[in-house]
Amino acid sequence: MSLQQIWEWSYSSKTIDILRNAKYAIPLIQSFHLFGLTLVLGSTVVFNLRLLGLGVNRLSMPAITSQLWRLMVGGLLLSVTTGILVFLPDPARYAANTAFKTKLVILLAAILFHFTVFRKVVRADKPPRRAAMVAAVSLTLWFCVGWAGRAIAFLG
Amino acid sequence: MPFLSWCHWLQNTPFAAGIRQSDLLFPLIEGSHIISLSLSVGLILLFDLRLLRLAFAAEPVSRIMEQFVPLSLPGFAAMFATGLLLFIAQAEKVYQNSFFRFKLALLVLAGLNALLYQVKFYPKMAEWDKSGVVPWGARLSGALSLVIWACVIALGRTMAYEL
Repeated sequence: MSLQQIWEWSYSSKTIDILRNAKYAIPLIQSFHLFGLTLVLGSTVVFNLRLLGLGVNRLSMPAITSQLWRLMVGGLLLSVTTGILVFLPDPARYAANTAFKTKLVILLAAILFHFTVFRKVVRADKPPRRAAMVAAVSLTLWFCVGWAGRAIAFLG
Repeated sequence: MPFLSWCHWLQNTPFAAGIRQSDLLFPLIEGSHIISLSLSVGLILLFDLRLLRLAFAAEPVSRIMEQFVPLSLPGFAAMFATGLLLFIAQAEKVYQNSFFRFKLALLVLAGLNALLYQVKFYPKMAEWDKSGVVPWGARLSGALSLVIWACVIALGRTMAYEL
């Protein structure tokens, strides 16, 4: 499906029309989007503070990973799903928005990093020497996703 | 209404106008307000989930509390500081916003709920934590915290649509 087809479908679909016109539909979906973000960023922050040695030192890395990995993935699924629901009623606006496009690129980088390098580090028996570096990259990427996301409303 | 005229004065100070009119500063503070969610509410949610045995069930409640709750304090400080700046920048409109007022009321409720835990369940935590059974009241307090914070997030998001 090309972008053009998504456009045409979204502007002609009656279901999407309900989302577009119901007064509180978008803020409600965005609330779930932010709740997902809280789960994603919250668990990522815990992992990273632990890797940086700045806190959570009395919980073992396997204990943190076994509990927070699924919470992070669940939050991510919630945020991505609700994000798509916010996008669909107005694809033309988002496709033209610099902050949105920037956010998508950083998000893809963050996801890619999270499920490869980051995953390996938090599942290692002993945190490797580059753990602090990995934590810094992870935090930077996810925080930039948040900043760029909020900027969508302000930048054209 | 004296408070409203004070808000009017506040948002017209050069400091407030400077934030409001800055193309970079205002979105940056908004974004930071949201990112602070991770270090404040995000960590409190983990403690709530433990009270409900939905996460870290193998760890004692006392350890989860000691590991996550103090860590959330700088997050709440950042949340409050950025929230205050956003209020100053648009004081008049924000003060009149009913979603904002509801949000403030829920923040007070979240504080009271945390206070209740400290007064009622914290003093005997060593005892019930050893037995492995979280008292019903403490579980309820955890569930209430989850619901209140979810509503605070929703009201915060919705209020922006009425400004």
